[in-house]
Amino acid sequence: MTVHTPASAPETQGQLMIPPRPRTWPKALGVTAVLAALTILTTIPAIGGVEIDLASIARNWTNGVDRIVQMLTPDWSILPRTWQPMLETLQMAIVGAAISAGLAVPLSMWAARPTNPNGVTRRAVRFVLNVVRAVPDLVYATVLVAMVGVGTLPGVVTLVLFDIGIVVKLVSEAIDSADAHYMEAGRAAGGTQTQINRVTALPQTWPVFASQVLYSLELNVRISAILGLVGAGGIGRLIDEMRGFYRYDALGTIILEILVVVLLIEWASNVLRKRLR
Amino acid sequence: MSEQSHAVGSEAEGATSASGSWPISLTDVTVRYPNGVVALKDVSLEIEPGQMVAVVGLSGSGKSTLIRTVNGLVQPTAGTVRVGEHEMTALRGKALRHARGDIGMIFQSFNLADRTSVFRNTMVGRFSHTSTWRTVLGISSHHDRDIVMRALDSVGMLEKVWERAGALSGGQKQRVAIARALSQEPSVMLADEPVASLDPPTAHAVMHDLERINHERGLTVMVNLHLMDLARQYTTRMIGLRAGEVVFDGPAASATDADFEEIYGRPVQPRDRLDVS
Repeated sequence: MTVHTPASAPETQGQLMIPPRPRTWPKALGVTAVLAALTILTTIPAIGGVEIDLASIARNWTNGVDRIVQMLTPDWSILPRTWQPMLETLQMAIVGAAISAGLAVPLSMWAARPTNPNGVTRRAVRFVLNVVRAVPDLVYATVLVAMVGVGTLPGVVTLVLFDIGIVVKLVSEAIDSADAHYMEAGRAAGGTQTQINRVTALPQTWPVFASQVLYSLELNVRISAILGLVGAGGIGRLIDEMRGFYRYDALGTIILEILVVVLLIEWASNVLRKRLR
Repeated sequence: MSEQSHAVGSEAEGATSASGSWPISLTDVTVRYPNGVVALKDVSLEIEPGQMVAVVGLSGSGKSTLIRTVNGLVQPTAGTVRVGEHEMTALRGKALRHARGDIGMIFQSFNLADRTSVFRNTMVGRFSHTSTWRTVLGISSHHDRDIVMRALDSVGMLEKVWERAGALSGGQKQRVAIARALSQEPSVMLADEPVASLDPPTAHAVMHDLERINHERGLTVMVNLHLMDLARQYTTRMIGLRAGEVVFDGPAASATDADFEEIYGRPVQPRDRLDVS
């Protein structure tokens, strides 16, 4: 390889001009020190840190043992009573995932830099979504049950809000990090951002989008088990009831059933994902 | 090949392109990027309608920036750019998009959306002639479809119209990109290193396509190249760019090796030619 600029040739003969290597270790050390300090600080009770009393686990663990033992001996006679609520949970999960998927398409595009170069609207969408994500799902469910009454509707709305939060975040981050050369062609042809997004960015984003929606469907089954505790319908209502009667053997059955459903959904979504690639 | 080509081009213009072919004019154009890099220094150029011009220079010489100032993908910090009736440097928003619709462009990396069909990729060329809501709803007029099919046919890609763009070879992708630009029914064609990602036979085929567009449709063609033999063989006029300044402007066929050494700022090397012979 010859030297590119003849003018600089004499200087580089013999001795290499290696630029000074930037020092990165002070920064790494600093970050590690800050993280360590924060971890220690948060566990000091004197300044209001969280109390992590490991000894209490040793003292109290026997209290839960009989419940765990009961759960490990499932009472199968409860099964017929679970079909209806489990079906309701699945319906909530699917409807919630479907509605959120529809809403997440434009929102993901507006929240990502390549598909929305306008900083003001992009930050506004991101801010609203951060707020939506910051509110715990149980809070949504509780408030919605109070607003529209006990049933599946508050559950579905809660799931939609929860799903939008995660799907839009993950999809918009995927758009942000993907190569978007095709955008330049659309721009050069005089297209509006919406036209470019619709015709080129949408099909490019399709696999990651579908993948996240399937993941949200799986999460929905898990979450709707909890939502029943506050009256938002589904299998959770039965869980709450059984817990109230200390029927831990029945709870064991329901938990196993949820596990089976979640595994089935995971299997189905893996099959779908493979086809999408 | 000589002055003949734009004589032929000028005759053909009325028959093939509604708006005819346009001149390009740059006056004292300077581009300084936000990071302080000056990509173009006081560049002034007059390109006649129907001319086929090569812009030659090494990477980093500013030729990508130069070609992008013509369709406003890069806005100059100073100076004016005129393309036909449009003063590109004065246009914003809708007016700029309409002006870009009259200027076709192809790219080194083809810039197709790989996951969608050849047809939809070519429809991108109709963006500036289509309302946003029609694009969003996916309604294309018979007229637009006809233009797209004809454009694909003219580059021999009609049989691939329903195939996924990602499934094509490099040469086929660049042909689809040419069809996309042609379906704009442009008056000027820009090409940024159109053959740098292609093997020699395919590179010649694509250069030949550009030459044909110049001859048959009479389009003004401005093509960035870094290989001297391609510039000599296919273009009539050559503009040499080094460190953002025009260092050569003359007939391409008669440009000597010494002229190229002036443009490159170093002796000519084997890799400056496509055909090693």
